[in-house]
Amino acid sequence: MMGGISAGVSGGHDEVSLGITLFFAALLIAMIMCLAFEEKLHAKKSVIVGVFAMVSLLLGGLFGLLPFAAMDLHVGDADIHLPIYIPAIDWGVVSIILGSSLFVDVTAKSGLFTWIALRLTKASKGDPLILLIAYGWMTVFFSAVLNNVTAMIIVGSLTGVSLNRLGKTDKLLGFLLVEAFLTNVGGLLTLISSVPNIIVGNAAGISFMKFFVTAGPYVVVATAVSIGMGAKLFGIRRLAGGNEQVEAARLVAGFDENDGIDSPFLFWFGGISLVAFIAVIASASIPDTLLNELGMGYVAISFGILALVQHKATADRFYREIDWDLLAFFAALFIVINVMEHAQVLHLLGRFLTPILDLGETVGPSVLLVASAVASSVTDNIPLSAMLAKILSGLDLTADSPYWWAVIFGANLGGNITPIGSASTLVAVTIIHKSGIALSFVGFVKLALPYAAAQLALAVAYLLIAV
Amino acid sequence: MTKLDSFESIFKSADKPVYIYDPVEFARVLIVTDLSEAEAAPFIAQVRTFLSVLGNTVAWHHLGGEDFATVGRLLEQTASAAPDLIVTYRHLRSNAWKWPHGLGEYLDVLTQATHIPVLVLPHPDADRALPHAVVNTDCVMAITDHLTADARLVDYALRLTEPSGTCWLTHIESQHQFDHFLAAVEKIPEIETNDVRELVEAQLLKEPRDYIESCRRAIEAHGLHAKVEAIVAMGDRIEEYRRLIEDHLVDLLVLNTMDGDQLAMHGQAYPLAVELREIPLLML
Repeated sequence: MMGGISAGVSGGHDEVSLGITLFFAALLIAMIMCLAFEEKLHAKKSVIVGVFAMVSLLLGGLFGLLPFAAMDLHVGDADIHLPIYIPAIDWGVVSIILGSSLFVDVTAKSGLFTWIALRLTKASKGDPLILLIAYGWMTVFFSAVLNNVTAMIIVGSLTGVSLNRLGKTDKLLGFLLVEAFLTNVGGLLTLISSVPNIIVGNAAGISFMKFFVTAGPYVVVATAVSIGMGAKLFGIRRLAGGNEQVEAARLVAGFDENDGIDSPFLFWFGGISLVAFIAVIASASIPDTLLNELGMGYVAISFGILALVQHKATADRFYREIDWDLLAFFAALFIVINVMEHAQVLHLLGRFLTPILDLGETVGPSVLLVASAVASSVTDNIPLSAMLAKILSGLDLTADSPYWWAVIFGANLGGNITPIGSASTLVAVTIIHKSGIALSFVGFVKLALPYAAAQLALAVAYLLIAV
Repeated sequence: MTKLDSFESIFKSADKPVYIYDPVEFARVLIVTDLSEAEAAPFIAQVRTFLSVLGNTVAWHHLGGEDFATVGRLLEQTASAAPDLIVTYRHLRSNAWKWPHGLGEYLDVLTQATHIPVLVLPHPDADRALPHAVVNTDCVMAITDHLTADARLVDYALRLTEPSGTCWLTHIESQHQFDHFLAAVEKIPEIETNDVRELVEAQLLKEPRDYIESCRRAIEAHGLHAKVEAIVAMGDRIEEYRRLIEDHLVDLLVLNTMDGDQLAMHGQAYPLAVELREIPLLML
């Protein structure tokens, strides 16, 4: 998908001076730095990258890097002129994100996810260790079928309410951190669970089922290990028994899982359509089928619209809830990367990757995985994975190559090293601070490092053994 | 509204207080009057008839006018008697019953100084009691307020309802306070007034309804015979309760009066206690 029309755009500008390439590389680094200091700049991602996209296009045009002539297309009898920035955007990725987020937002309104969350809370009978295990697996499941941020918001907000109910707010930090780390593990489960998966998976041509079968075992092991570490390091244990257990069960019994369900029909419709969505999007990766031709973006948008039919009179409310900042960020990011491609910046970065690739099929992917993780821990993993996917696309790797998986694992798991490493860890820190718990950047890193190290070590071992 | 805030609201709304039935037992009842033993006899007989729901095993005691001359002495006497229920009337040891203001200084202090429930009857001389009042307790109305000890309130209301009687669990949300709050919201451009009006009103009424539903489930689970009815609405509290008392021939009103944060009576309870003087009130 990344290739698409833009493959035609990247045609004949191989002769770019090193000075111009370095100039554009500096522009790219400046953008990445601005994204890393997004909070300090008080600017949304879309605005930061939007500014760089416009400047890149202008400079790319001034330096004669952009193939404006190639934008005149002849389709049948029609002459079409496309603006240079239109084919630069990977509309397949944008439509998957737009459609699935719309679908998830509408489905969440059915009360389905809060019902699952509250049923699990009651089933735990208020025992802290069982609650941690239940919330941990629920985080992974929600991250896989929703997205990391929504999963963290649902599980994190419930954690605050339920631990408060149980009088166990001293365990809140441990719960929230373990859940935050598991959002990025759960984000590895399917091709559409996180944006790096979509970008790299599409570029590599990895099918939905192949992705799930490959990543699934790792997710199971990493989740079990992370929950075990969380219980040990934060002292989350089972209740002693007797009165303590009875009292805890009584306290969580007050949760009414049906409270958020306005309509039983919408609830069941939400559940059935979620299962159907996963099944259909999985089948869209079967080659030589109509759905495969139409693409996962079509499936996602179709389900989004289908879900909206149930709320046709208030659809505008759901449009307002779409993360337009994220979508505009993607569009602008793809434009920047396209200009960088014409300026040979990606080619230059690819040369830096050569020593890693020369390490061979065993050490090379391992080093790339760790390097990707470290890089995505301090900056946004989306530009990183988009750039690396573009670079790896130029290397004629097969879909089975471990290098793709190195980027997927690294970009996802790197988010667990620092509080700014991923949007879901940032949400967790927001909830932590909102709960009155002091946690600095360094404090987070100290607490997160054992988990990140264990998850990365497992990922490297898994990459070497199973991929 | 952020997604985080939205989900927090959903989970907070789902976290509901659950009523757990805890049967109330009355072994000793202390009747306090400002009369001599002989003068008090008709009153005591009327009280025993009125509270026949308590059964025959209750030990009845009387504290007459000659037993206490000051508020302090009254408190000492009630503390040493350690009853499960104090029964008295408005304007104890006062002629102010002629004016329908306040409960009288003895009762003002007694209801706040003791944790023993106080059953306050209309003053015997005032002739203000409704015809059906102080006869039996086949219709008891509890006012839930969701501040403290609601379960206790319901327990007492159920205990004092005759087996074939009706126990009303009610909550009237103050329309006046709500309008005052909305008047402020209407002046804030960033807030959609209609949304606030609809959503806040719905939530204010949903909470007591949920709690009453929880009471109903527990009552059914324990096989109690009292019929339970619910009323949850917006309105003027005094007017609404006055109307409800007349419409349903309510015999006894049960309400919380203690406020842990202050020495005076609970803000909602005092005007109700002063204004609704035609029927007995059980003040917890």
